[in-house]
Amino acid sequence: MSRFDGDDLLPLARHVLERARALGADEVSVSVSRGSHVTIQRRDRMVEQATEAITQGLVLALLADDRYTSNATSDLRPEALEPFIARCVQTASFIEPDPYRRLPDAALCGRGVSEEALDQDDPAWGRRTASDRAAQAEAIEEAILASARTDQVSCSSYVADGRGETVRVLSNGFADRTSGAWFSAGGDITLSEGDRRPEAGASYSARHLSDLPDPEQIAAAAQERVAHRLGSGAAPSGAYPMLLENRCAGRILGVLAAPMSGSALHQGRSCLMDRLGTQIASEHLTLIDDPTIPRGLGSQPWDGDCLIARPRTLIEGGVLRSYNIGVYFARKLGVEPTGGGRSNWVIAPGERDLQQMAAELDRAVLVTGFLGGNSNPSTGDFSYGIRGLLLERGEIVQSLSEMNVSGNILQLLGQLVEVGSDVWGWSSVRAPTLRFEGVQFSGT
Amino acid sequence: MHQHLSPLAWFEGFGVHKSILDTVLAEATARGADDADLYLEHTTSTAVGLSDGVVDRAHTTIDLGMGVRVVVGNQVGYAYTEDLSLESMLEAARTARAIAHDHSGTPPVRTEPRGPVADYYPVDRHWSDVDLSLRVPMIRAWEERAFASDARIDKVQAMMADADKHVLIVRADGLIHADYRPMTRGFVSVTALADGQRESGSYNVSSRGDLTYYDEARQHRMVDRAVERALRALDAGSPPAGEMPVVLAAGSSGILLHEAIGHGMEADFNRKDISIYASKLGKSIAPSEVTIVDDATLPHARGSLNVDDEGSPTERTVLVDHGVLRTYLHDRISARHYQVPSTGSGRRESFRHPVLPRMRSTYMEPGPHEPEALIRSVKRGLYCEVFANGAVQIGAGDFSFYVRHGRLIEDGKLTEPVKDVNLIGNGPEVLEAIQMVGNDLEIDEGGWTCGKGGQGVPVSQGMPSVLVGKLSVGGGRA
Repeated sequence: MSRFDGDDLLPLARHVLERARALGADEVSVSVSRGSHVTIQRRDRMVEQATEAITQGLVLALLADDRYTSNATSDLRPEALEPFIARCVQTASFIEPDPYRRLPDAALCGRGVSEEALDQDDPAWGRRTASDRAAQAEAIEEAILASARTDQVSCSSYVADGRGETVRVLSNGFADRTSGAWFSAGGDITLSEGDRRPEAGASYSARHLSDLPDPEQIAAAAQERVAHRLGSGAAPSGAYPMLLENRCAGRILGVLAAPMSGSALHQGRSCLMDRLGTQIASEHLTLIDDPTIPRGLGSQPWDGDCLIARPRTLIEGGVLRSYNIGVYFARKLGVEPTGGGRSNWVIAPGERDLQQMAAELDRAVLVTGFLGGNSNPSTGDFSYGIRGLLLERGEIVQSLSEMNVSGNILQLLGQLVEVGSDVWGWSSVRAPTLRFEGVQFSGT
Repeated sequence: MHQHLSPLAWFEGFGVHKSILDTVLAEATARGADDADLYLEHTTSTAVGLSDGVVDRAHTTIDLGMGVRVVVGNQVGYAYTEDLSLESMLEAARTARAIAHDHSGTPPVRTEPRGPVADYYPVDRHWSDVDLSLRVPMIRAWEERAFASDARIDKVQAMMADADKHVLIVRADGLIHADYRPMTRGFVSVTALADGQRESGSYNVSSRGDLTYYDEARQHRMVDRAVERALRALDAGSPPAGEMPVVLAAGSSGILLHEAIGHGMEADFNRKDISIYASKLGKSIAPSEVTIVDDATLPHARGSLNVDDEGSPTERTVLVDHGVLRTYLHDRISARHYQVPSTGSGRRESFRHPVLPRMRSTYMEPGPHEPEALIRSVKRGLYCEVFANGAVQIGAGDFSFYVRHGRLIEDGKLTEPVKDVNLIGNGPEVLEAIQMVGNDLEIDEGGWTCGKGGQGVPVSQGMPSVLVGKLSVGGGRA
């Protein structure tokens, strides 16, 4: 494999753009990426799997006579690229004209935040060696083994990291480059309980290596979570106060992502149509899309259309302030683009943490994980399998499984009565514990 | 026919000759190994889409690369490269073999190309030979049929996606095997609008077939079912919450098998003792009416494989025979661990991923009952017809699946339509709770994709009508 070096990406992108124009394209967007990643998994005090690769890819989108195609290839040999570009231009000729496909105005494109301010590219990545990775994975596994319960039948640990670089060039003059590293680490534990093998784990991701928890913290979190899976079963069906653990909030808030999108709004498949400026959640919810957070897992200097990335309030005190509409659907809908992508979702935190909230509830369901389920963006209806704990005044009285939580997202967000102070930072969804009233669970 | 060329022919077009493959494999096994393989892939995918009356987009994706795997005991070293130069392939081989520390394994024998052992998906024409201009009028006709079928249809989207996948597997034990794997998927989605209320319905079909797969009846069915689903959803509500008997309609309810038992039978989980089925081989786990199969040999099925992704011949594997658990789904690593033959279940999403034991087409053999008898026997319950997705926890055995469309059963009759409800249960408990199996096995024609370890692979599933005595229904009504 060739050494990782992004210096040749920009000339390659420009070359592809020029060739596409020479072959008949009117507007062109080229993205070239190169990356590298490593994963080490351990089990039974051995490396179970080690995976390593250097990757590359090119995406060419173009308009020729108002006809649009988007194409990708991993075959970057010069003798393969020329026929690829020719084929892309030819493909467009089979498609019907779409007057809404246009590159954005160059004035809208650019970078909202410098690479330095985003702080995505931890120099520690380049210094990391195979033995560093092996040592970290081993330390996590040993910490789990050292803290093992007698009923532990298996455990595994993993570390993974990578770095990627992307160059974007548009025929409207935009050209920029961004790069970033990422690191993950975690452990999984399986216990024996009759025939059942209750399992749980803890997993963390960060842009900087030094932001990951140490092996003992990872082991302790995994041990605590797996212990909570013993003796699990369903509680009776009914309405309960729901505490949604901070790291799980993304699944429920994510129900909003599809109906907020330009595509869903345009197709009429959105429960948020005509709701801009209206109350769609309780006053406790303020949700911001912020692509500019330093070291944020979802941070980016520009979005998929190369529009300048800026923080944007989606929901303010329960009132819907913005959709996620990219350049194409904005033209189709006759509105200004908001920026089409989801970056970091940040919920403005409150005063109290999970323990403080739970302590005053006579009986509540703490949701700690999901199992399957889905939602309907047209209506906002959702239904998810859950794992969790039944709490009484903050004390665990039962481990919950084989239960579903169901309802309508707009109704549920109206039942949000408190936002916690305990924000989960190892995700692009930065949410604290959320407390809801009267949520419908099905069980026995 | 393309398949009858030398197995090496396709990748020779990329400058990869047998001497190069032998050199790379020798490098991978230079420190010894119990097993090793190279997996070369060239996939060209094309999708053409329509919305708002315009065939307005086409996407082509080319994937080319090689994965190299070195196995020592249960340990796997894996690397891949998207650059098929000898230098890059040798470096990938050296990276993968880092797992082997002067291991004294079997040195590789001389590789030998083998002809095809099976052909479960013969086609007359590859997708790259089908002009885009042939696809455009087809999806336009789907849209026209949808709008013509009901005045409440407000929006239509349609898509046709297909792929030519060429793979070459080169193994340290000498075998070289090539496979050409066609795939196509057609998709229609409509939005219905009535009294200010909007609902959507969709239908998709998928096959390892060529353009002849889209016969007139299938094209009509795609559109008609998408329309019917959207219109029905306008009238549907949420079912009551809680435990109740559930009748699963024939076809896509095979998702229950996939989640409730299929994943738990993948041998890697059992080898590590982390599956709820780890101690149940040879034991009765379901009523004797229940026989469950995972089959790679169904003609043109989305889940079928002539050879698996590590060169093993494929087969029809009986997982549960008249209620008794018979065998796990094995790749070569687990087969060696259990000292049994591989079931040809070693699969990977692409050259970017190592092999895992995976399902292919999972279904239940038909039973003795008329499907109507199942519904008649239920006083109050749920009839599940259309499914979206499912999930499982392998160790605890808990699984769930999402029902997009169904009906209530009241006093033995199907009554009001319901929608958007998740069902949850425990795999072994649900298998034991199967009370009746219908005689109407149907392999679903839809395009299912199974996810595991971050890898998606195409699968099929099927089911006769089945009555499960008790499942927890996540209804929105108390």
